Amino acid sequence: MSVAIDTWIIVADDAAVGGLIEFGRLRAAKLVAVVAGRKSVADEVAAAGVDRVIWLGQPPEGTPVEAFAPEVARLVGEGLPRVVLGPDTTAGRALLGAVAVRCGGPVFTRVSALDLEGDRVVLTRSLFSGIAECRESVDGGPAILALPSGGQVSATGTPTPVEQVEARPMTIALVVDRRSDEGVAVDLPSAPVVVGVGRGLKTKADLTLIEELATALGAEVGCSRPLAEGVDWMPKDRYIGISGQHISPRLYMAVGISGQLQHMFGVRDAEVIVAVNSDADAPIFSECDYGLVGDLYRIVPALVAALTAVR
Amino acid sequence: MRVVALYKWAPNPQDAQVDPDGIVDWRRAAEALSEYDPVAFELARSFADLTGAEVIGVTAGGSAASSSLARKTVLSRGIDRLVLVADDRLKTADSTTLAAVLAALIRRLGQVDLVLAGVSSVDVNEGQVSMTLAAHLGWIGLGGVRALEATDQGLRVERDVPGGSETLALAGGAVLTTVADAAVPRRAGMRDILAAAKKPVDLVELDDLDVPVAQVVVSRAATSRPDNARRQHVVVEASEPAAAAAQVISALRQRNVL
Repeated sequence: MSVAIDTWIIVADDAAVGGLIEFGRLRAAKLVAVVAGRKSVADEVAAAGVDRVIWLGQPPEGTPVEAFAPEVARLVGEGLPRVVLGPDTTAGRALLGAVAVRCGGPVFTRVSALDLEGDRVVLTRSLFSGIAECRESVDGGPAILALPSGGQVSATGTPTPVEQVEARPMTIALVVDRRSDEGVAVDLPSAPVVVGVGRGLKTKADLTLIEELATALGAEVGCSRPLAEGVDWMPKDRYIGISGQHISPRLYMAVGISGQLQHMFGVRDAEVIVAVNSDADAPIFSECDYGLVGDLYRIVPALVAALTAVR
Repeated sequence: MRVVALYKWAPNPQDAQVDPDGIVDWRRAAEALSEYDPVAFELARSFADLTGAEVIGVTAGGSAASSSLARKTVLSRGIDRLVLVADDRLKTADSTTLAAVLAALIRRLGQVDLVLAGVSSVDVNEGQVSMTLAAHLGWIGLGGVRALEATDQGLRVERDVPGGSETLALAGGAVLTTVADAAVPRRAGMRDILAAAKKPVDLVELDDLDVPVAQVVVSRAATSRPDNARRQHVVVEASEPAAAAAQVISALRQRNVL
């Protein structure tokens, strides 16, 4: 018997919810998207293979998407789906938090599986930055999940019509100015090979060494938290960890990263992990496939040489 | 004005032991102020120093949250007074319940203008409680906050959003979570620690708060420890970098990941 659960997806003015749709479609009898934000976002989601799109209308100028939280909660409360999925961004959490209060249940995060056992929704999720896992059944109201939103949606055939509903966002906050970052955004979660760099690097100038390795590997460069939030050597969208990027490359090469739990959570789905670190007792060596204990300033050039040598 | 600074007194999972059945033993993990909380404290303090606001530290946690160490740690970092619930029943409470307890504490304070919080706690690390709290209060929840200032009309907030940043004007209650580098937290000096001992602490009984009963029933069927066995764990001392590097690259090519 295939598992079929009515599932609603909460969209927070960002159509990059491919992962949520994929997660929902595996189990859903009917997939309903509730879109807070621009019409263009609703249109994009409507073409991505959902059964129904409820759009809360064009936001008044300057309205942040979080202002729709009470209206999103009202709609979910009236629809009473068994499962609610939303993006695990702060805007997503603001909308899901309102749904949680309305429905009287928790928001679950880091959920790896959701099944129907008899009439019960059962989920598997990891606890405390991934040190343990549990299975839990959810009764009496919807299972509300914050998940990695998982990238762009792809159009599948005829779009479903967008149903507009009357919605009044809160008027507490108004955006009065917006600025765009310079530079190109990086898509680490889609990169097949990633080099991660951490505090083992002595100076910012030494990043060139890491870039040479990345070039030789055809890799993107990411980092542990101190390099993005401590010393500011790297942009924040390159920080890998439980509260940063979660990646699942074919190969992850960690250079000068000790392997704290919070970092390792972000790379646990890598197929192969290689670690370079001078401290033989660093926790990363118990979580890698191949480890090189030694000075990264000698090992990285040797890796580049081995990669570029004629075979 | 009154500003609430949320915090959590919590252990770091890095220091916990997990048995093969997934039971977490926290005995070797000392509880401490969650690492992001002092950033929110600092932002609240500097805002209060400019506006004359009072900064009230608020938490809901286990009994250790009321220890002398916990109180001093918080009160020596720019917080004027504390209001807290410290009850071991809250150690396993979910985000919606914890947020409901915090909302009840904040309502008891009467007029509160703003709630500031770090991005997430060190133990659960979800970043959900503060956003759910906003919903309990009927306020707006906004993340990524870098700076705030008082204006004639209300508050002006700078925050990071995907692909850029924005400025918001606030004209009502908001729960704001700060980015990790929004401010450099102060180090508590001896004077701060001595002064902390004299600051007011209001320890509230959990049963005295009006907390809604959960509708959704969550039953834990099983726990487990994640399987780490799939990794190869081939670790070599690279005293000869060229040879060690060549060996690893060769292994990666054989596994077709290069």
